[in-house]
Amino acid sequence: MAALSTARCLFRSYSRVKNVQKSKQILMKCSVRTFCSETQDNAPTDNAKPSFSDPAVQDVLTRITGLDLQKVFRPIKQELKPPAYQLMTDKQLEEAVDLATEQAKKLLQMPPVLPERKPINDVLCEDKMLDGMDTAKYVFTDITYNIPHRERFIVVRQPNGTLRKASWEERDRLIQVYFPKSGRKITAPLIFEEKNLKLVYSQDRHEDVLDLCLVQFEPDSSEYIKVHAATYENLDKHGKYDLLRSTRHFGGLTWYLVNARRVDGLIVDMLKRELFQDAVSLVSLFHMVHPHSESAQEAASQQATGIDLLKIYAQKESQRSGYIELALQAYEQTAAEGSAA
Amino acid sequence: NLHLILSSDEKYHGGYVVLRLALAGHKQANRPFYRIVAAYNKRARDGKYIEQLGSYDPLPNIYNEKLVSFNFDRIKYWIGCGAHPSKPVAKLLGLAGFFPLHPMTITEAERRRAQTQRTETATGTEETVEEGQKPVEV
Repeated sequence: MAALSTARCLFRSYSRVKNVQKSKQILMKCSVRTFCSETQDNAPTDNAKPSFSDPAVQDVLTRITGLDLQKVFRPIKQELKPPAYQLMTDKQLEEAVDLATEQAKKLLQMPPVLPERKPINDVLCEDKMLDGMDTAKYVFTDITYNIPHRERFIVVRQPNGTLRKASWEERDRLIQVYFPKSGRKITAPLIFEEKNLKLVYSQDRHEDVLDLCLVQFEPDSSEYIKVHAATYENLDKHGKYDLLRSTRHFGGLTWYLVNARRVDGLIVDMLKRELFQDAVSLVSLFHMVHPHSESAQEAASQQATGIDLLKIYAQKESQRSGYIELALQAYEQTAAEGSAA
Repeated sequence: NLHLILSSDEKYHGGYVVLRLALAGHKQANRPFYRIVAAYNKRARDGKYIEQLGSYDPLPNIYNEKLVSFNFDRIKYWIGCGAHPSKPVAKLLGLAGFFPLHPMTITEAERRRAQTQRTETATGTEETVEEGQKPVEV
């Protein structure tokens, strides 16, 4: 929860995550759109199904993502500066490491998972008397500075005289023209085409593709969801979960797999790397999201925690139960030996 | 505030504020681009203006769109201060739906339709004349 509060305070200054603002009242309540916007919209369905932005779900996902400082702060392509060396006492070093963990938590903030946006089909006015006024469309944008981009008026007057609201793609393009965002292009980069994506996956650069996608598209646009789904599918097929492990996309990956009920590969990977607590929290998340599945009901009836959860899950839901049970047995043996010795 | 602005107009400049199109980037030949601008009436068309309120690109882009932008908040302010929009700006604002439609827009649309009809009937008669001639020649 500390991570959430610091993130809330420091969110505005953080430039990497896009700041698409929703309605004003949501903005005023909390500047972190990831945490507040969905709960407002989905309040009636929250009891039925936990959404991505629930605090409990977010907690589990942040724990599973892990915090490998070496990976988060690995050298990235940036402007060359000569390194600065500082002489520190042990206490100052600890403080510096704490600051670094805070910054790492900010960098690992998860981009939101939103349902796909519905197309805009609003016609404001039909003027038959203007038919044939010109061969080109006129697109009018409102450049008032203080309004959120989602509320901006962008209308199109077509040659047959109808005045309609601009579609989502037109809106994104025009907002990029008049309020350019660094890193975003007007036309989508060619890397997001299918054959180029395949090349990128073969080079194991899923994280770069996801970062580019985050900068280029809005989180509820269809291209964003498609690219993310394709990347997650590819990762699942080849079992390359570790590529995303200490990055901000890991939560999204886990959420996608949990909703598709294909968590087996991920659990096997976690057990291979001996991350038992993570596996346990993953299974508890699965039970939170699918409370009507067999393993969830069994676990609720037995009030199981820890390794027992994993055992129940292995028996009831997974297809690779053999491997999971073997791994659990090995873990119990080592635990027993450790406590005995 | 309004009082101050009006008095400074009349006494010093002897003019009033207009919202009009000013050509921008006149160093490029055959590529017009207009700024929608609040300026004093007597100033040069491309000279010093008070505030830029938008832009207008008369050449259509690859999506066949002519891009127009308006800063409606400031336009409302200047109209509230008594600025007069020029004819092209009034036409654009009418097309945008901010003002009611300018009558000349409707007249131009009607003229264009009449023009296209005339060319269609002209080509129609030309084709029938050609068809009539061909079998005679052959």
